[in-house]
Amino acid sequence: MLGFFITFIALQVVLFAAELTPWVQQFFVVPWTNALAAISASLVTLFDPNVVATGKVLRSTVNGFAVSIEAGCNGIEATIVLVAAIFAFPAPWRARFVGLVAGIVAVQGLNIVRVISLFYLGQWNMKVFEWAHLYVWQALIMLDVLVVWLVWIRMLPGRGREPGGPSGGAPAPASA
Amino acid sequence: MAGSSRGSLGAFVAKVFAWLPVTFVVWYFAAPVLLWPAAFIVELVTRWGLADIVQGIERARAELTFATTLKPGSASARAGEIAVAVDLLLYSFGLPLYAALVLAAKVPGWPSRLVVGYAVLMPFVAWGALADFLKNVAITMGPQIASQTGFVAWQREAIAFSYQLGALILPTVVPVVTWVLTHRAFLDRLRPRMGVA
Repeated sequence: MLGFFITFIALQVVLFAAELTPWVQQFFVVPWTNALAAISASLVTLFDPNVVATGKVLRSTVNGFAVSIEAGCNGIEATIVLVAAIFAFPAPWRARFVGLVAGIVAVQGLNIVRVISLFYLGQWNMKVFEWAHLYVWQALIMLDVLVVWLVWIRMLPGRGREPGGPSGGAPAPASA
Repeated sequence: MAGSSRGSLGAFVAKVFAWLPVTFVVWYFAAPVLLWPAAFIVELVTRWGLADIVQGIERARAELTFATTLKPGSASARAGEIAVAVDLLLYSFGLPLYAALVLAAKVPGWPSRLVVGYAVLMPFVAWGALADFLKNVAITMGPQIASQTGFVAWQREAIAFSYQLGALILPTVVPVVTWVLTHRAFLDRLRPRMGVA
């Protein structure tokens, strides 16, 4: 358990620090955020043609309302947490790879739902938008990460194969 | 609660979703009381470590207003001091998430787990608020104010990193990690194929 926890924290700090470097920002974060806006716009235009994406901004051509996808809203931090949790947990590399791909799709998929929902919530009611943006969606995205990780460890092959996992190699406390 | 513990992951997630609106409402309206310990930690830290730039802190609901010794212009200019407001809600939304997870799992002794999680989260809420304040005075407000704080380049880098960590990672990760650590047996029951190692 301690090994898992230390590795999880260390991986997060390293990946998060890497994310903040200018090189990663320029060649990964910014292009990814722009792609997120473009994907969101292409999905929205299936039912609402009055939406365009410019860079990381999603804008309504009818009323001019726009949302800019900033740090914390591009799903990268949530993905970092998921990557750290999957790599810190003892598992076969193949299972890790499958978990990573499926997990990133799940997290980023929900993040696109977040961006689109905020785009419409903001046009409807700014108070609700602020609540959803600052508090609710942040919690939901992290809940998504937790559920994806729980599903993943549930699908890992074998029994009792993780001496360093959350079971800590010891019987679980009877009180829990 | 054996019935809940043996439930499926889907049932657990459904319970979390059922509890989230309740915990969010309680958190929002009880914030002035719930976040008092975090505000107290912030006051202690500023009194001991930032007394040269913070004169005092005022609380209004979940908002802290740092009254500083910093001047809007140069340090020698005769003008009013700068005040910086920080919203504790921005760094404490992990509380309702943690509470919803605990209430959805509802293992024996869940009230004590609520208390433990609450105690664990408070310093991290204080971290976010302090880093927010420091980021404002050392970076966002510009070089004239930053120069009065006395922070050197590496300290400003550390403040920027602490702020990003405290705003983007810690508010959501700490409650989830705390929940995992305090619900290991529950997690084992959610993982029937793996059992207890």
